[in-house]
Amino acid sequence: MDFSLPAEDDPRRLEVREWLASHPDRSYRDLYERGYAVPHWPRPWGLDAGPEQQIIVDDELARAGVRAPHHRNPVPINNCGQSLLRFGTPEQQQRFLPPALACEEIWCMLFSEPSAGSDVGALRTTAVRQGDHYVIRGQKMWTSLADKAEIGVLVARTDPSVPKHAGLSQFLVDMKSPGITIRPIIDMTGEASEYNEVFFDNVIVPAERLLGQEGDGWKICMQQLQTERVALSRPGVIWGSGPSARELLEGLMASGRLADPALRDEAARLYIEGEILRLLAFRSLSDRMNARTAGPEGAVRKMVAAPHGQRVLDLAKRSQGVAGMVKDRRVLPVSKAERGPYSNWDHAYWWSPAVTLGVGTQEILKNVVAERILGLPRDKDPTRHTPWAQLAPGAVPAPAAEGGRA
Amino acid sequence: MNFALNDDHILLRDTAQAFLRKEVDLQPLLMPGATVREAGYDRLWPKLVELGWPSLVVPEAYGGLGMSMVDLALIVKECGRFLAPSPLFGTLAGSWALMAAGSEAQKQAWLPVIAEGGATFALAAASREGSYDPVGRTVLAVTQADGVRLDGSSGFVVDATVADHFVVAANHEGRERFFLVDRHAAGMTIEPLAWRDPTRHVAHLHFNATPGEPLEIDAADTWPWIRDRLSLMLAAESAGGLQEVLDDTVEYAKERVAFGRPIGAYQAIKHDLADMLAQSECASTAVLYAAWALSDSPDEARVAAAMAQSYASDAYREATHRSIQIFGAIGFTWEMKNHLYYKRARCNAELLGPPTAHRERLLRALEDRAGGDASTRPDARP
Repeated sequence: MDFSLPAEDDPRRLEVREWLASHPDRSYRDLYERGYAVPHWPRPWGLDAGPEQQIIVDDELARAGVRAPHHRNPVPINNCGQSLLRFGTPEQQQRFLPPALACEEIWCMLFSEPSAGSDVGALRTTAVRQGDHYVIRGQKMWTSLADKAEIGVLVARTDPSVPKHAGLSQFLVDMKSPGITIRPIIDMTGEASEYNEVFFDNVIVPAERLLGQEGDGWKICMQQLQTERVALSRPGVIWGSGPSARELLEGLMASGRLADPALRDEAARLYIEGEILRLLAFRSLSDRMNARTAGPEGAVRKMVAAPHGQRVLDLAKRSQGVAGMVKDRRVLPVSKAERGPYSNWDHAYWWSPAVTLGVGTQEILKNVVAERILGLPRDKDPTRHTPWAQLAPGAVPAPAAEGGRA
Repeated sequence: MNFALNDDHILLRDTAQAFLRKEVDLQPLLMPGATVREAGYDRLWPKLVELGWPSLVVPEAYGGLGMSMVDLALIVKECGRFLAPSPLFGTLAGSWALMAAGSEAQKQAWLPVIAEGGATFALAAASREGSYDPVGRTVLAVTQADGVRLDGSSGFVVDATVADHFVVAANHEGRERFFLVDRHAAGMTIEPLAWRDPTRHVAHLHFNATPGEPLEIDAADTWPWIRDRLSLMLAAESAGGLQEVLDDTVEYAKERVAFGRPIGAYQAIKHDLADMLAQSECASTAVLYAAWALSDSPDEARVAAAMAQSYASDAYREATHRSIQIFGAIGFTWEMKNHLYYKRARCNAELLGPPTAHRERLLRALEDRAGGDASTRPDARP
């Protein structure tokens, strides 16, 4: 048992630092070719890096002021790219991975639909095989980066004659294809739109864009949703981005508001919870280092982290009193480290209801923890074993109204 | 860096767990009218002595095992899991007080005796009202021709009823000081309390011109060091008890059927249990970190011990209450174990001061560390 982290003068750290210093004009392609985009992947894509080296690379990129590749192009690096190593053909790997890891082609994930969020297996978008291509019809929703992406990872129904999870397949789609329409969703912050709706109107996708086999879609999705890249140096309250509980405490100290007895104890509680979350992340990492089966820490950590983040932001906001009801980013001092849009405390607060919705709702996450870790009985899903096409109307989401894009 | 337990740790934990599962019998406490006298301190302690547990923290130079705080935390966690009734807490507290404040001769005289199980101890550091600020302020020590005499009272002394010797904090000529006091010393009264947790002996001590032998070093300098270790012990007990309560409650939720399904199939129940698991993982992690810090990283130890004690005791209290709710009305009866855990949790949260006091100490440590300048942190360039 040893809770100490790689030292400041660890030679592996110095090597990364030196390379960054001697390449001031590096591009994301340079980072990728050096192995720093996905250090945890096998060569030639990454460095076969263990967890400690991952931490070092993350730390040193942050120290050098580099927006991390996994923040710039999160979908291939955090979630979907590794599926190509496992299910992709060599041609798919060569075509898609280098530009993705070099952050030259941004990806998006086309999973959720208007009536299929938590129950994503009930999705209605169809992919019908016609000769050497598929024809896609349907609507996706809550797609981050759709407007910036070159490539979309799409899940669609290829076989309605089997139960819902069995009939799904995954495709790598060109987002510039004719028939794709993208509209921003104006979320409750009213600020820069994070999410989009994506409409597919008879979009043609070549058959070689199918990932794995027809019917593998659900299995691949589950792996992608569970692949969580270790981003330890970023314990922020919005899915790892944004300020952390340490910064809340520092901000309350610096502003003198920590003296308020009504805030003080709650701030201490949040600080403690934040520190424990940090330790849980390290424990998951140690399990991987020791090649032990990962413990429940990963799922559990997410379940604790989301409401924790909301409470941190809430306390920061409350510390302002009525002045906090005005749109103004000056809530508390925040580290200047690159953290994207959530480094604005005010924006992060009004954003925070999303944290227990996105990447799996809190309720679904608790089901997963209770069922898979504690072995409690599964929730009932009466539609689980019936062929999709035979499900009674009303048992499945109604089709999106025609002309829904009006 | 490696946050995982190694094979030796796992063996130690599993051995302790198997032993206590076999030896601890809470059944007598579940009979109507049972009190701590039925808890079985006398049955268990000789067996713990055989295992060498009184010698765990005593350095090898004094005949002990000198084990790490991680080893200790793993064992204490298992004691907490089974609510093992024994004077281990008091005896370790006394050992730490001797280690921190005793002269070389005093350590030579007592630590080997404790290590071989030849004496049990209790540490009396709280005031009559249960305050530790400063320690021993309701006991007055006066130097007389024939030695030091103590007058006054100490409050809420764990294991005092069964200890052979006490380490007592007292105000001695304006200084906080520890004194060794024999159980049978003149003017010594032990007032057992109707402590709500019947797995633990707790008493007030009253002194009337009672002779005491001063430990060499001031209590004011050593109490924080001792308190951090006691905090870890309580936190480890709480984390272990919390795990056991979770396991029991999950088991019950799988067996108990209502409306045609096990109650654990309903989200109201399963989500509560998922929360309980999360808090259990968090508490155990905080305990391991504090244990590691106490042995290996003194700079972090104070903050880590305060975090562990405040988090684990809050989580334990919450979980033991939820457990009674999920068991339903049967969980409210004396014959079930639920209340023993509920009471242990409740009492553990107060023994060394409430969780809010531990958090206040944590904040002050962080404020000191920041030194009024929070901008010294290394930031990456924008």
